[in-house]
Parts: sequence; structure tokens; C-alpha cells
Amino acid sequence: MSLWVDKFRPRTLDELHYHEGLSARLKSLAASGDFPHMLFYGPSGAGKKTRISCTLKQLFGNGVEKLKIDQRVFISPSKRKLEINIVQSNFHIEITPSEAGNYDRVVIQELLKEIAQTQQVDLNAKQRFKVVIINEADSLSRDAQAALRRTMEKYMSNMRIILCANSTSRLIAPIKSRCLLMRVAAPSPEEMQTVLEHVAKKLRFDLPPEASQQIVADSGGNMRKALLVFEALKMQSPDLSGSLKIAKPDWETYCHKVADLIVQEQTPARVMEVRSKFYELLSHCIPPTVILKTVAERVVERVDENLKADIMHWAAFYECRMRIGNKKIYHLEAWVVKVMSLYKVTKHFVYDFDMSEFE
Amino acid sequence: MVEIFTSTGLLGGPSLAPAPLEPQLESNFVSNGLLGTGPSPLGIPQDGQTSNSGEKSVGDAEMRSPLSFSNGATLQSDFVSNGLLGGPSSEMVPEDLVFRANGLLGSDNGPRDSAFASNTQPSQSQDDSFLNISDILGIRPNESSRSSRAPHTPITLPRAPVRATTFSGRTMYIKRKTRVLSAPNKTSNPSGMGKLLDVPIHRLMDEISATAASKLTRLAPIEPMKKSTLAPEDTLWVDRYRPRRFTELLGNERVARETMMWVKQWDWCVFGKKRSKKRQREDDENYNPDDEYHRPKEKLLLISGPPGLGKTTLAHVIAVQAGYEVMEINASDARSAQVVDDRIRPTLEAGSAVGSTKPVLLIIDEIDGATGGDNSSSFVQKLVSLTFDRPRNKRKARDQKEKRPLLRPIICICNDQNAHALAKLRPHARQIRCTRPADIHIVKRLREICDIEGLKADTRALSTLVGVAKGDMRGCLNTLQFIKSRNEDVTEPLIRRATVGMKEADTSITNVINELFAPLSRKRAKELGIGEEEESRYASRLSRAIEGLNNPSSISNGCFAHYANCCRHDANMSSHKKGTEWLATYDLFSSIMYSEGDFGLHSYLSYFLVPFHPLFKERGGQRIERDSTDWDNLQLTRSNDDIYKSLSNGVRTASGRSAGDYRHLITGQTLQLEFAPFINRIISPPLRPVNSQVIKPTERALLLRLVEIMVALELRFIQEKAEDGQLVYRLDPPIDVFVTYDGKRAADIAVSRYAVRHLVATEIDAALIARQADAVEKSKGSKQSDFFGKASRKLPEAAEDVADGHGGVEGDGELRRADRSEDVPANKRARPQAEKIDIADKPPVDFFGRLITVPNSGIGSKSGIGKKILKEYQVKYQFLEGNSAAVRKPVKVSTFL
Repeated sequence: MSLWVDKFRPRTLDELHYHEGLSARLKSLAASGDFPHMLFYGPSGAGKKTRISCTLKQLFGNGVEKLKIDQRVFISPSKRKLEINIVQSNFHIEITPSEAGNYDRVVIQELLKEIAQTQQVDLNAKQRFKVVIINEADSLSRDAQAALRRTMEKYMSNMRIILCANSTSRLIAPIKSRCLLMRVAAPSPEEMQTVLEHVAKKLRFDLPPEASQQIVADSGGNMRKALLVFEALKMQSPDLSGSLKIAKPDWETYCHKVADLIVQEQTPARVMEVRSKFYELLSHCIPPTVILKTVAERVVERVDENLKADIMHWAAFYECRMRIGNKKIYHLEAWVVKVMSLYKVTKHFVYDFDMSEFE
Repeated sequence: MVEIFTSTGLLGGPSLAPAPLEPQLESNFVSNGLLGTGPSPLGIPQDGQTSNSGEKSVGDAEMRSPLSFSNGATLQSDFVSNGLLGGPSSEMVPEDLVFRANGLLGSDNGPRDSAFASNTQPSQSQDDSFLNISDILGIRPNESSRSSRAPHTPITLPRAPVRATTFSGRTMYIKRKTRVLSAPNKTSNPSGMGKLLDVPIHRLMDEISATAASKLTRLAPIEPMKKSTLAPEDTLWVDRYRPRRFTELLGNERVARETMMWVKQWDWCVFGKKRSKKRQREDDENYNPDDEYHRPKEKLLLISGPPGLGKTTLAHVIAVQAGYEVMEINASDARSAQVVDDRIRPTLEAGSAVGSTKPVLLIIDEIDGATGGDNSSSFVQKLVSLTFDRPRNKRKARDQKEKRPLLRPIICICNDQNAHALAKLRPHARQIRCTRPADIHIVKRLREICDIEGLKADTRALSTLVGVAKGDMRGCLNTLQFIKSRNEDVTEPLIRRATVGMKEADTSITNVINELFAPLSRKRAKELGIGEEEESRYASRLSRAIEGLNNPSSISNGCFAHYANCCRHDANMSSHKKGTEWLATYDLFSSIMYSEGDFGLHSYLSYFLVPFHPLFKERGGQRIERDSTDWDNLQLTRSNDDIYKSLSNGVRTASGRSAGDYRHLITGQTLQLEFAPFINRIISPPLRPVNSQVIKPTERALLLRLVEIMVALELRFIQEKAEDGQLVYRLDPPIDVFVTYDGKRAADIAVSRYAVRHLVATEIDAALIARQADAVEKSKGSKQSDFFGKASRKLPEAAEDVADGHGGVEGDGELRRADRSEDVPANKRARPQAEKIDIADKPPVDFFGRLITVPNSGIGSKSGIGKKILKEYQVKYQFLEGNSAAVRKPVKVSTFL
């Protein structure tokens, strides 16, 4: 019925395949009765959300799996309507405030207060508090994070907050200090392979080790991606034999093409070509930061050693500008022009150098 | 003395007129065919001559007196007029004129006489028109110059025939009438010809302008005094010299004629006149034979054009000329949809204004302007609805006192033809675009007015004024009146000063971008009146231009779109680097300005774009057209975003139905980066297009899984007709765009053919029906179980399932994983089994009470699991997962044995 990613998602802490130490800690924390605010962070596809839901199950029992999904409408100060999807059970609530964009503060304030001010009425509940899960905490605006600070302390008796983020760098220090930080690292290739084999076993078919290795190598520590690739592969060539071609996401392939274009030729005409490709990527809703990162990584692979640091430096520089700025394409192109001129200068330099030596 | 005048055949009739030239000069004049307008040829040859005889004639101008000004024999006055205004001067007959026609003058092989005859006619008429033109063009020569003409001895020129060569090389002579002319200029000196000027031409022109003006001052004081006493200064010149008759109208004659024609088309309807035969021929295309009132097809007329060209005047004059009473509604009147009902409709239906016998013609001025509040388009909409014919059913309409049809013409006037508010009007209106008349006409009219008003103005200043005003007659007149009120003379520098800032805001984005990327053209520099060192100081000029547009972001987009096309040969791309730097800085400033509301930064924005001028300016580059890539991209992004939204909605629904399973896939960037590309691969397995009945078991499993996933994620194949009439199945939501880059699908995804999609689509439909049926069955089942006194708690769930079955339930998707152990079975066929297991611990029996040993092997094999159970000796029974409420329950084999 469901995709494998969901079908074989572990439901309890015991079922988790890797990071046993973390699982044990979570278990004991859940049992202690003194559950703190928490911040789960780690790369995408490492299993943060899975661990959060397992922890919840440990805390509250089966009741947390009785989910209700609905939409709530908030009114922003400028009278705009914001629709936020909320997933909740009797014991917890899950929100993604970044859906509200700049007005996430409103969501945080209204929703959290509302939850925090009502006590748990179910007398049979295992815990006296409710849990609020905030997804994508690292894209919370400053205002929203500030709004969270006091709430976290004031309503400690009624509510615990679990933040889920990719990196802690964009969270303000006061929030970090109020949370117990839980790092969920990406699984190692071996761990991923065991998971894949587990899935194959559950589905009763043989997964050739080469295939699983290939999948693992391709997914770069992203379990979700690995499982999606796995399923796609199984759908496309049901017997999983012969030479397997692991499908890369199309945007990634396209980014690599762009990088190749940059390395091949450095002319204004090429800049125009690259620009049209960037437009194509942007129109497919690929985040510009991701585009820049992917292209830069690919370019770095293909240039001389002495250029690598510079290219990455400028990529970081322009990504920073891009985040502040509005027109993403300007900054993407600025980086391309920069890289091109850098590349050209070094190429010429090498050329000159060679010539002088020759003479 | 000899002029070779080669016409390329594009010169209109009168332009073939004997080219006036100085007898001593030999000038080759080759028209490039653009000298089409009637009276202009008088001026043209002089333009050609300027370079040759400039020096000499300047000397003359200084030497000779005011007499020369309208004296026929001299060149100077024409020269002063810069060729735009030919005085009655240039009637000089060349002694030998080689006239080479390019075959348009008569047939080649025709008899010579006939060719000659055909040529004489035009040449005579040319003479006539020549006189006419000189009358039209010339300022009525004032008394002083007439008197000054007397002392000249009239000379009778000999008949100098015009020689013309036909295309075939035959020569013919065209006789000329004997004319009495004033003496030719004797001072012209052929030796001065061909030399370069030692004083720049513009300086010479300035001098001439100054002397002419000063001479006029000395001359003038007699006349204007009288006139200024006659005309009190309490009216605007604009009003005083407004044309009153059709013939007085200035400007593009075609526009006036077209307007008149349209108004005339109403004659039959309004005055009941039958149109004359001649008319009918002309406007056949707009004649509407179906109309019982004989109205033109387009019942509205929309005149558009820049301000000051006389659109309103045109409409009024024509209305009066055609015999109508004008009713005008302009921006000063309240204009809401109600006005149409309250004022316009009654007047139009009455047919004439109160106390007037003339029919009414409605003029709606400035229709694109403020139309009163937020309902700007409702007025237009109402207006358009006026023009609709009433319903076909005449009797009914009459009975209900429906609207009467529109029987009077309506003229709408606007500046911007493409204004948003007019979108609804445009299709129903005849559109006439009012364009700027040739400068020469305006100058002439201004000249006349100046003469009447006694304002001393030299022609060069006037033409400058017209150039600066871009043909805005109203602006010109107002400026002149202003100058008059200060009792000054009209000279060029004064005009410059008076018109500072005039029309500056009236630039377009493309113009500004072109100015950024191209060095200042001579013409524009002259128009702006700036010298070379001023030109080099571009920053303030350009930043003002950008600011004047008040839309720096589109300028920046334009710069971004274009800069990479420039400096293609820049080796290390240094200027491009700088350009991107500036753009990035611009973007930072503007985004900070908008996000933090710090609009003080706005005044700096334009300066970030100015550096593109020194970095990328190129002479002779192509004119930059507006680039819409950025906009197109934005549109595409939006539409793709919508697809993502509908996909995530589908997933969310699925997640509501299946215990929040998919919800993690649609948060954050996972959707775009991971889910979208892979789901596309997951849903396109390599299936063969065969009948679902004869499909291989392995493929059957694949197909079932595909159907399951697609049903769960709310993905469908929808049958559609393509443009060529072929049936196609389209994925809905069309998530396959996310694997389509540059219009190509990813190579590793098999193209799913129509037959395969058809197969899948039918299976999906079947699955959906089954799901619905399940829900219904379940609700029945729960009722039955009620009847048997069993488990009433199932009721609400069953009701929910019904809702689920109808799809799209998000809100109250109470999820059932927790209840799994006690839930009702989903599959219809499995129901008896489930009932029994649910009910009893005793061994299951079938309908006849026999024990069931191997349950449902057929069903089991369907998903490919049953076979495996047989192979591997681990006995595990699993119910088929249902369509909506999945039931999966491990049951020990012992229960069956």
C-alpha cells in the first residue's frame, strides 16, 4: 500500500537499526519521567523524525499513532490568511511553521500558547505534558525563535518542545541552551546496507550485494533517498539483475551538466548558456542554495587543486549574499562569472609558466 | 548648374517637382526613398546643399539684410529654417536638369509622344502644387519683406526644358512655362564649394539663429502691439487656437479621415440617410449587413495616443462637423458603473440632449484614467454591455422593457491603448492610434500662431521646441505663451531653458536600457542640448533617467538580461565581473529596502545600475528589445509550484488515509529534491501493453503495486484529446514535468505509451470503485453486525470510511492503525473469513459448515505472496491489504487447522 519508505519505517525504539546508543538514551529519558525539551539535528534522511516518533511512542504508548491531520488558518498582522497543516494526536502536535514563511512568529505564538495553556485532560495518559514537534526549526525566523524562548520556560509543566533541524547554526543560542541536543548522524554505508537487506528480506526477494552497495554509495548517507532509489529500481527492473543503473535525481544530473559547461569554456556566451540552465533549474523549484552547492561541488571535482579552495570560498560568499538578496539568479550568475575568470586566469598563468620553463 | 536627380521611385507625386537649386551649384542628390511626404522636397535639396554651400551662405546671411529672409532668390532663409520650412524662396529654375526616372514614368516601349504626354500632365500639376505648397508652407510674407522685394528687377527666365530619361534610356524633354522670377543670387561662389568649414556647423547655426532673432526684434515692434491689444491674455493659446473645423485639424490626416469615416458610418442609423454609393465602397469591411439599424460593426471608437496631439479636439471637431451634439464625460466627472445607467443610457436612448435638435454623440475622455474608486473596470464593462444587442427574441424584450439598442456613436479617448482597464473594451471597439504628426506641420502651425501673436520666433527654435516636446502641440503652445508673457524672444537656448524637465518622465524601460548600453547618439544629445563634456559626465543624467522611470527592478532585469551580450571579447571577463558585482549590490540594497521597509535607500538604487554604461557601452550595437526571460521563468516557476502543491495535497490526503504515512515526504525540500524525481521513476515501470487478463504474473504484481501507489497518492491518468485530435493520457497532477528538463524527459524513465497508461488507468478506476464499494459494504456490514447485536462501535468508523471512499478527506481522517486488531476487514471477498475470525475462536467453517483448510489461495497468489508462502515453509497468513482501511493481521496456522 504505502511506499517502502513508510512501510518499513521503524515504529518503536527497539526496531531502530542503527545508533543503538542514541536509542538507549532516548529510552531511558522517556522512562525517567523528566523529559526535557529536545533538539534533534543531523543531515537529511538520517532518521530524525523516525526517532522522534519512536520516542513519542515510548512516552505515550500506542495512542500517538492515532493521528489526525487538519488545517488551521491563522491571520497575519497584515490580515493575510496563513494555512498551516497540523498533524496531531491526543498527546502531541506536529507543525511546520516555515509553511507560513515570514509570519511563522504568529503561528508559534498562537498555537503554542493555546496548547500550553490547556492541561492534559486524559487521566489515563502516561505523561502529564503534551509534546510539540517543530519541523524545520532551522528555517524559523528570528522573531519566531525569540517568541519560542519564553514559552519554553513558562509552560514547561504542560508542554515539551521537540525541535527538528538540519543544522544548529541558524538557531539562536538561547534556544539551543534550553534544549537537550541530540545529534542524529547519517548512517554509515554498512548500516544502510543492513537496512536495505532488512527491507529485501521483509519483501522476500534477494538483493544482490552489488546493487545494495551501489544504492548506498549513491545516496550519500540519506536513508530516505536510498529507500526511494531502491524502490524505483525495483519497479524499473523487477529482477534487480544485470547492470543496474542507479537513477540520480534529474536536477542533480542537470546541475552536473551546468558545472561541465562552466569548466569547458569561459566566455560571455557561455555565461548566457549557463544562465538559461539556471533558469530551468529554478523553474523546477529547486532551491537556489542547493543548485549552487551541487554545481560548486561538481566544479571543484574537475579543476586544479589550487583553485578548489577559492571556488568553494566564493560559492559560500555568494550563497550568503543570495540568502540576503532577492534575485537569486543574479548571485548565481555572479558566482559563475567569478569562477570563470578565476579559472581563466589560472589557466593562463599555467600556460605562461609552462612556456617560461620550456624556454 | 547640373543636377542629377535620381529618384528611387518612392518619392510621391509632388516630390518630383523640379528640385530647387542654386544655378551655380552642382549637387548630386540621391534620394533614398524616404522623402515621401508631400511638401518636403522643397527643403530636401537644401539639406543636400548645406555641406557644400554652408560657409558661403552664412556669409551672405550676415551681409545681406532682412530682405533676404523671404526673398525668393536667396538661399539663406531656407538654410536657417534647417530645411524644415521652405519659404516661398526656392523657385529657381535649373538650366539643365537631368531627370532620370526609373521607369515609372510611362511605359518604355510606348510611343514617345504618349510618354511625353503622360509626363507633361504631372509636371504641370507639379507646378501648380508647387505654388500651392509655397502658399501653404510659407508664412504669409510680412509687409516689410514684400516691400523689400520691389527693388529687385524681375527676370524672365528662358524656357528651360526639363530633360528626362526613361528607364530604357530614351531622353525626353518636358517644357516649362516661362516664369518671372527675381534675380538669382549672384554672390554664390563655386570656388568655396567642397571645402570643409572652419567653424563648426552648429555654431554657425547658433549665430544665424541669434542674428535672425535680433533682426526680427528690430523689425517687429510695429505689428505685435496692435495684435496684443486685440487679444487679451486671459485665455490660453491652446484654447484660442484650437481648430474649429475639420480642415483646420493638424496632424495625421489619415487618423482624422478614419475617425470621420467611422462617424459617417452612423449616418444611416442616426440620420436615416442612405449612404451614397461612393461611401459604401470604402467601408465595406465594417459594414454590418445583419444590423437592422445599419450601424457599423464596432460600435465604439477608441482613439489612443500620447497627450497633446489633439485627440479630444479631433473628436469634438468631427462630431460637430458630422452634425452631432457632443456630450463629454471626462476624468473630472464621476465615472462609476452607475453613471452609465444614470446619465449615459438615458441620453443615448433619448437620442439627443435636452433642448437640442441635434443627435448626441458621446465622448468619453481619458477613459484609461481614474475611473472612480476601485471599480475601474466595471465602468468599462458596463459601457461595453451597452453595445450588446438585445436578445434575439424581440417580442419578449419589448414586453419586458428591456434595454434599447445603442443608436448613437460613442468615442472613447485614452493615452495608453494597452491599459489594463481597457482590456474588456478593446475587442469591441474600432481602434485608431493617433500618432505624432510630422514636425514640419507643427512648426508651421506654431509659426502662424507666433506671427498672429506677434511673437518673434525663428524656425530653428520652434523646431527644437517641437523636438523636445515630442510633438506635443499643447505643450508647445503653453511654452510659447509663457515665453510671450515674459516678453522674450524665442531663441533656442531659451527654449531649452523653458522646457527643462518637459517630457522627461515619458520614457520607456527599453529606452532607458538602450541609453545605458549605448553611447549618446548625436540626435539625442542635441535633443537634450548637452555638449561633449556634459556627455562624459553621465552619472547624473542616467541615474535621473532610471529614477524617472520609477521601476529600477525592471531596469536591473534588463541590464542583467543584456550585459553578457556585450564585450564578448573581454578576455578575463573583468567587466562582466564588475557588472555582476553591481547587480548583486543592487539586489542586496533593494531586498534590504523591501524587507526592512527602509525606503530611504530607494534614492541610491539607480546609481547601482549606472556603471553598466561605462562598462558595456557599445556604439552601433543593436537596439535592445525587452527581455522577458525572467518573467517567463517566474511564470513557469509559479505553475510548477502549483503542481507541487497539488502533489503535496494528494500526498497529504493519502497520509490522512493511511495513518500519516507519507507526511514526512512533503516537508521541506524533500518533496522537490527527493520525492518528486523518484516517485516519477516508481510509477513508470516497464509494463507491456497487453490485456490485463493475459498479463504475466510477475507483471501483474508490478501492475497491482503501481495501481496501489497511484491510488494512494491521488495520482491519476486522465484521458484528453491532444491538439491533433489524438487521445492521450495525461498524468494528473502532471508531476512528470519534474523529470523533464529542457523539454526532454530523463533518459532512464521509459516512455509510457498510451496503451500502458490505458491499462493502468482502467485498473485505477477499478480500484477506486472497489474502494468506494468497500466503504459502502462496510457501512452495510456494520449495520448487519448491529443487527446481530455485535460491536456497535464500528458505526462511526464505517461512516468515516464512506467519506473516505468519496475521496479527499483530510480533516477528520481519524486513523486506524491503533484499531487494527479489531477493525473490520476491507476486502469484500475476505469478509466471511474475517467475520469468523473476529467472531469466533472456533475453527472456521464455510457456508456449509465445513472446515476451511487452505483459505483463499487464489487471492493470495494475486499479490505474489501466496506462492512464496508455499515455497518457504514458514506459514504465515496475511490478509490482502484492502484499498482503504488496510487490515493486516498475523494469524497462526493453527486457527485454520
